[in-house]
This record gives sequence, structure tokens and C-alpha cells, in this order.
Amino acid sequence: MNGRDVLVIVPAHDEEESLPPTLAAVRERAPWADVLVVDDGSRDATSAVARACGVPVLRHPVNLGVGGALQTGFRYAIERGYAIGVQLDADGQHDPADLAALVAPVQEGRCDVSIGSRYVARSDYRAPLSRRLGMMLFSGVVQLALGQTITDTTSGYRAYSRAVMDHCQHDFPKDFPDAPLLIALARRGFRLSEVPVRMRAREAGRSFYTLGKKLYYPYKNLLASLMALLRRPA
Amino acid sequence: MVFLSRAQVLTAFGALALALYVLDLVRRRRLSEEFSVLWVLATVVIAALGFSTSLLTKVTHALGILYEGSTVFACGLAFALAMLLHLSTKLSRLTQEKDGLTREIAFLRLELEELRGGRRADAGEDA
Repeated sequence: MNGRDVLVIVPAHDEEESLPPTLAAVRERAPWADVLVVDDGSRDATSAVARACGVPVLRHPVNLGVGGALQTGFRYAIERGYAIGVQLDADGQHDPADLAALVAPVQEGRCDVSIGSRYVARSDYRAPLSRRLGMMLFSGVVQLALGQTITDTTSGYRAYSRAVMDHCQHDFPKDFPDAPLLIALARRGFRLSEVPVRMRAREAGRSFYTLGKKLYYPYKNLLASLMALLRRPA
Repeated sequence: MVFLSRAQVLTAFGALALALYVLDLVRRRRLSEEFSVLWVLATVVIAALGFSTSLLTKVTHALGILYEGSTVFACGLAFALAMLLHLSTKLSRLTQEKDGLTREIAFLRLELEELRGGRRADAGEDA
């Protein structure tokens, strides 16, 4: 794989502890990929820690949310000529050993968005009940909207083609880039597919999803999914 | 001038005072012209209903409302809702613009670091 082809985008918010092992693991398992950390308004030393690992850092002075951080990464990938962008969580729950398998379908042109799924096969990941219900709900929403089965709509481990990243420059869900994003992209004609991955428990730090967001998430994503269906693909 | 109730007198003068205050805010540049539009409209309409009893009763009958006071309330509520919707859309736009600026700052900072790094490397080679 060409080194300038793949950019691993790591959105990080207050992840100074889990970032170094994550970056080291990416370097070890996927030395062919470049890495970018998007520090989404952290109040800890996330930026400094990432720079110390020799990784370029884009630092938001204020917090924009996962989607906002990802969009920043996409713009960097477009500006610097990368063919594929991979979204990988800073907290260590995504295994860089799966990177090659995740990137392959996009690289070979078999799809435009490749989603690392905990549920396609070979996984011992157990989510709490509320999370599982949410996943079932949004799997159903995507199934209804697209007629395609996506088992893991909330997976934050995805690879995107350059065309998708370019499209997302102009139109992107800001806070939770999940089901509505998948629906919007598929409606635009981009092909989605899933790849089985393993996910581990978090290394350290807090999840992006606090209690308020847990309640807001279903509302926002149901509404945004509906809107993604109602909007004419531009 | 015949007022129907003390409440109407209060409404009329209250609305007038608010209108003057809003205009004064604009004069002192504490409120932009754009945001004053709805305020001025609301206070002028309510003041007009307050000062002209004939207008108030006419509007009330035309709308099929039984009590004049309700007309004034309905007007006030309508304007308050319009104002809130206006503010919400404005806030959404501002948030989008803020996100764009935040991203811009992130890129400028990285490019500045790269330029500085490059210059330091050049200086190192010269020495």
C-alpha cells in the first residue's frame, strides 16, 4: 500500500492518556498509513502528547463534536491529496490490526464507505442494553431507508473514499455522524459495505457520549435520518 | 380617548415605553437594526391596539375573540414566538459559522507550525 494513499484520522477530546498507545499501535500495525490527530478543544495535553509522537495535529480552539473533528480531518485529507481517510477512535477501542481489511474494499473500488462492524462476525463485544437497543433501532431505520442491512450503524471505525470526503466538506452531520450520514451518503449514490472488526474496551478517558447526549442522540438521529431521506440528493 | 380598562392603559403606555427603549438601544448601538425590526413591529402594533379602543374592538370582533384583552395577549405571544424562532435560526447559523472559523484556525495554526519547523530546519542546515 502506498504511504500517501491512506490517512488515519484520530479525533481526540481529552485523550492524553489513551492517545500514545493508540498512535503506537497504528504505527506498528499499519506503518504504511499516515496519521492525523484532530484535537477537538481538549483541556488536557492531548495536542502536546500527539506532537510528541511525531504526528501532525489540527487543534480546534473550541469543541465541535466528533462530526466536526472528522470533517476537519477530511479537509486535511483532501488538501494533502489522500485517496482514503480512515476514522479511528483515540480511546483504543478500534484495533489497528483491522486497518488493512477495512481499507481494502475502498481501495479496490468495491465500495465508497467501509464500516468496521462488531456484529458481522467473530466478535465478543458486549454493549450495554440501552446501546444495543439504540443500535437495533438505527439498524432498522437504515434498513427501512436504504433496503440495505448495516449491522453496526454506530461504529466509529470507517474508511471513506476521497469522493466521499470531498462531498462531506459541504454537508456533514456535526455531532453524531452515524445513521443519518450513512443514509445521506447512500442516497447520494455512494456504496456502503461492512467489514468485521474486533472492538476493545476503552483504554482511558471519557466517552464522547455523556448522559445528556445519550438522551439527545436518538432524537437527533431519528430526525436527521428522516431529513436525510426527505432532502433531494444534491 | 376612551380606555376599556386600566389594563389597556398599562398595555398602551408599557408598549410605547418599550418601543422608545428599543429605539434608544439601536441609537446607542446596543441592538442591531436587524434585530430591532421584530421588537419595533411588536411594540408599535401593541401600542396601537392599546391607544385605539376602536381598532382593538374591531380586530377583536373580526377575529371572533370574546374579550379584548385576549387579542393583546395573542399579539404579544405571536411576536414572542416569531422572535424565538428568529433567534433559533440565527443561533444555528452562528454555530455553523463558528465551526467554520474554528476549523480555519486549526489549519492556520498547523500551517504556521509547519512553516516555523521548516525555517528552523533551514537555519540548522546553514549553520
